[in-house]
Amino acid sequence: MNPFYILMNKEYFQMIRDFKIIWLPIVFIFLGMTQPVLTYYLPTILGALGGGQGITIDPTMVQQEGGQVLATTLGSQFDQLGILIIVISMMGMIQADKASGMLAFILTRPVTVWSYIAGKVISNFLLVIVSVTSGYFVSYLYVNYLFTDVPISHMLSALLIYLIWVLFMISFTLMISTIFNGQGVIALIGIVFLIICRMITGIHPIIDLINPAGMSQHAMSLLFTGSVDSSIYVNLFITFLWVLFTLLVSHLWISQKKFQQD
Amino acid sequence: MKLEIRNVTKRFKDKMAVNQFSMELETGQCVGLIGPNGAGKSTLIKIIADILNADEGEVVLDGKRISKMKREIGYLPQFPNFFQWMTARENLLFMGQLSGISKKRLIEDIPTILTKVGLTGEQNRKVRTFSGGMKQRLGIAQALLHKPALIVMDEPVSALDPIGRREVLNLIQEIKKETTILLSTHILSDAEEICERFVIIKNGTKIEDTTMTELISRNHEPVVYVKITPKDHFWTQLVSQLPYVKKTEMIGSKVKITMDNIDVHKNLLIQHALNNDVDIVHFEVSGNDTLEEIFLNLVVSA
Repeated sequence: MNPFYILMNKEYFQMIRDFKIIWLPIVFIFLGMTQPVLTYYLPTILGALGGGQGITIDPTMVQQEGGQVLATTLGSQFDQLGILIIVISMMGMIQADKASGMLAFILTRPVTVWSYIAGKVISNFLLVIVSVTSGYFVSYLYVNYLFTDVPISHMLSALLIYLIWVLFMISFTLMISTIFNGQGVIALIGIVFLIICRMITGIHPIIDLINPAGMSQHAMSLLFTGSVDSSIYVNLFITFLWVLFTLLVSHLWISQKKFQQD
Repeated sequence: MKLEIRNVTKRFKDKMAVNQFSMELETGQCVGLIGPNGAGKSTLIKIIADILNADEGEVVLDGKRISKMKREIGYLPQFPNFFQWMTARENLLFMGQLSGISKKRLIEDIPTILTKVGLTGEQNRKVRTFSGGMKQRLGIAQALLHKPALIVMDEPVSALDPIGRREVLNLIQEIKKETTILLSTHILSDAEEICERFVIIKNGTKIEDTTMTELISRNHEPVVYVKITPKDHFWTQLVSQLPYVKKTEMIGSKVKITMDNIDVHKNLLIQHALNNDVDIVHFEVSGNDTLEEIFLNLVVSA
């Protein structure tokens, strides 16, 4: 068995011991449920709580398309609380191994830095894929039930596009976790940077082209309109470059042994 | 197996941790790397284990760079830190597989090795619950698991209580029959007990590379100390004229007298003193310096 496979197995083993493999999908399922349920019942909730006098709720405003609600699940839930949760659950990825000395210890064995990094990224990415996908599917079921149906092909391709942005979130958190030693700093930098990335989408077409969060924007517009802009290919390519860049920096940092603190 | 350390130098910012250090190590030897705290022992060990990169020089095992020969090295860190959430057995399985041993063989080997280090009953306990001595023994098990040609240990017993220390020392005595060992320590009696060869390091520089017997015979002098009252100081002059006395030296109220042959001449010397009516307060034949004294001399003076 090669080291990459052993290291990845160890990650899964740890996720099972920590119950991360259970709670992370559950959190995303809740996040996925929230948007359609809240959107659907908001008029009722407002009516029940607000007394209703003098307020008219425009019934046409409530009649949202299913695709729109599913898109806001990505944009308002996954891209806000979701980023927070992903960064916080991943911030110790490498930092914990550095702090306990296990990283140095593992590297005294015939293990390449690439297999170490790949083991981390792939195992954690797969976990997040499972979590995001289950949350997204639950959201999709509620949307179909409470609103109009969303075509399966749109739903699936939007998910695939969105997962590219998730991959960047993970590789970026991995890089920050490699470079910095304090959990707080890692969480702060990770969350702030990723949320800023997400916030600046739509400001300028050139920025959108090189912004990994553009992928999230493309996934949403696919759900809204049913088609994607042709700029997605350039954006996709550049996002992959960003992911590669973060992994290269992490590799360089570890192989130059900059993580040693003495 | 032959380990060569060639002119290794390592700087941390402005501090020189290891300075132009060279040594060689052959199969079957057990070498103690001794030095005071901060002498650069740990840094050197980490360079050998390929955890740190040397600024200059290289470490070569059987003619190949150490980074290509990790399979042949077993490393025991100063504070072996395993995955706390894994059991002893799982940790060994993990580290063993990383060293390239098949799971099947590990399942056969792990019970044997755990018996050797005395952790048989603890194999399914989480490492989180282990004491320092148990972790150290698990660390040794881990270092032995892939049957390396060379085992490098960083302060294997320094952090342990007397009982844990004894356990680990006995264990090292045991494994030293089978492998080559390089260990660092600042506790001399430990090194004296396990190793035949010593390398003394100070401020990152090698100041001595020798064996126990050589070290002691070199520092053994044919000397007696005689303490006399101040009125008899004239006797010192007389003594220095004697044919069998090489040198006399006053140290406080004591006279240090170096002679050709203590066994033959010491009684003659006493006789001479009595003949001159010298008031002898104390007479002492100097014993061998202990390793500790020799070490202090080397480290403090050099």
